Amino acid sequence: MAATRRLQKELQDIRCSGLKSFRDIQVDDSNILSWQGLIVPDNSPYNKGAFRIEILFPAEYPFKPPKISFKTKIYHPNIDEKGQVCLPIISAENWKPATKTDQVIQALVALVNDPEPEHPLRADLAEEFLKDRKKFVKNAEEYTKKHSEKRPSD
Amino acid sequence: MLQLLSFGRRSVGSSLSIYVKTNVGNTLSIDLDPKWEVKNVKEIVASQLGLKPEEVKIIFAGKELHDSITIEECDLGEQSFLHAVKRKPLKKKTDPRVSTVEEEVSQSAEGFKPLSETLMDLQLSEKERNEIHTKEARDRNRAHFFVYCGVCKSIRTGKLRVRCSACKEGAFTVERDPCCWEDVLDRRNGDPNFKPIGGQCETRDCVGGGHAEFYFKCAEHTPAPPPEVAQRISEDAVPLFLIKPNLRDIPCLACTEISNTVLVFPCEEGHVTCLECFHNYCISRLKERRFVFHPSDGYYTLSCPAGCPDSLITEAHHFRVLSESEYAQYQRFGAEEYVLQSGGVLCPQPGCGMGIIADPECRRIQCIGGCGFVFCRSCLQGYHIGECTEGTVAESANGGFEYNIDPERAAQARWDEASKVAIKVTTKPCPKCRTPTERDGPACIASKGIL
Repeated sequence: MAATRRLQKELQDIRCSGLKSFRDIQVDDSNILSWQGLIVPDNSPYNKGAFRIEILFPAEYPFKPPKISFKTKIYHPNIDEKGQVCLPIISAENWKPATKTDQVIQALVALVNDPEPEHPLRADLAEEFLKDRKKFVKNAEEYTKKHSEKRPSD
Repeated sequence: MLQLLSFGRRSVGSSLSIYVKTNVGNTLSIDLDPKWEVKNVKEIVASQLGLKPEEVKIIFAGKELHDSITIEECDLGEQSFLHAVKRKPLKKKTDPRVSTVEEEVSQSAEGFKPLSETLMDLQLSEKERNEIHTKEARDRNRAHFFVYCGVCKSIRTGKLRVRCSACKEGAFTVERDPCCWEDVLDRRNGDPNFKPIGGQCETRDCVGGGHAEFYFKCAEHTPAPPPEVAQRISEDAVPLFLIKPNLRDIPCLACTEISNTVLVFPCEEGHVTCLECFHNYCISRLKERRFVFHPSDGYYTLSCPAGCPDSLITEAHHFRVLSESEYAQYQRFGAEEYVLQSGGVLCPQPGCGMGIIADPECRRIQCIGGCGFVFCRSCLQGYHIGECTEGTVAESANGGFEYNIDPERAAQARWDEASKVAIKVTTKPCPKCRTPTERDGPACIASKGIL
């Protein structure tokens, strides 16, 4: 299967590249279409924790985009309570088969670091982000402390 | 064993059974040893025709074959046709020795080699052609063609052949080798500037004036003997000019592997996928019914998966990578899409789906040639007189009033209304039978034919 071969290669490349912001990649041996990993953001207010995500690849990959969801709760205008995230690079209209998972992860990390309140999934957080940044940061920091996973030590 | 018994002439391990067609109309069936030279063939043929071997010219795939070429080199398949013609008397006047020497000097041996030896891959540029010097490079860059074979019903490697455009016979020699796909593909209908490669037809009855007509044959099945001209034409294979040997080792844009055979999209960048990924691409688009119509030519096709402009595939046989049932689905979708694009309708009766192109003004449509259902064009329900009932058509008031009630309140207080609204919000009509079906749900069960 083409999807399997490509994902094996992509997984190997990502593991070798030693990304600081995406670690601890776990892939079930029996199902390479399902990945888990830890997003480690650099920017405040998310730089006190790490966030587990799941990437699900369809069998038609790379002709259909992967789906990403957050397994760790996060206080973020672009990520909803269920962990769904709106990432343009993997939307059905924008998806290109030549896009690599590594680029998708980079886009996701960038979105976590710098929220885009113009296209929110949670309108309440976007408004707070725009109108009262101090309060947003405080809430987000507290939320991160309470819900996020431990950052890797190195 | 059977072979040895029936041939008996020479003990050959892997003989090749071919036909030699003469320009006077008769066909000889002979068995050749692949190690033989063309000279040996001439000897056999000449004795049958009552000529001297020097008087015979052997033509194959648009080229006259030189005496020293072995049969192996000629890319001959079982049941192939060689053409034997008598040399024109003009040449016989001068001393044959001298004339051959002269010709060999002027044309070199190259002109007497079969097309399969001299023809370089059509995807190469002029510069790349000139850089080919070593034998390995020559072997590697030799022309490869991929075709859709209607007999094998799949994509096969193909062979390029030449015939006279006037008499459709193969006793024809070309002026020059084709060097690009335009030379080979018959584009006369589309392009007024198309200039075919000329040549000489040696068939005696030919009306003349023909040019080289290139066609393709499947290289992997043995044609049924003895083929008549009409049948040979029907066995022509469709050239799949986007499928190429991966001479430049380009990785597939989807799986990133470097495979031997690739499909190069007709976009400016020439994006490359391997055939397996192209198949997957077709399937995933087919399932979503996301093939598109070529704006002018009406092909139901796909563009480059990287989203390049002007990259639609114009030869639908490339979609033969799909399995039989998938291809049938592709054809059905294409036909349906064509009917809808031309302003037609599809019969809404479950299991029918006949495409009907009727007068735009006509609302009463009968499925003639299909199931015979008579339906209304606007609502796709059974034909009715008057307005369609679907949508916000006012319900008729029922006779007398018992009490005087505010009609607005009454409208809100109806038992069925809430569920009607719910149905309207959460459903859409099934595209085939118009029965309300839950949104995002599967298509209506009735039209899938389960009921």
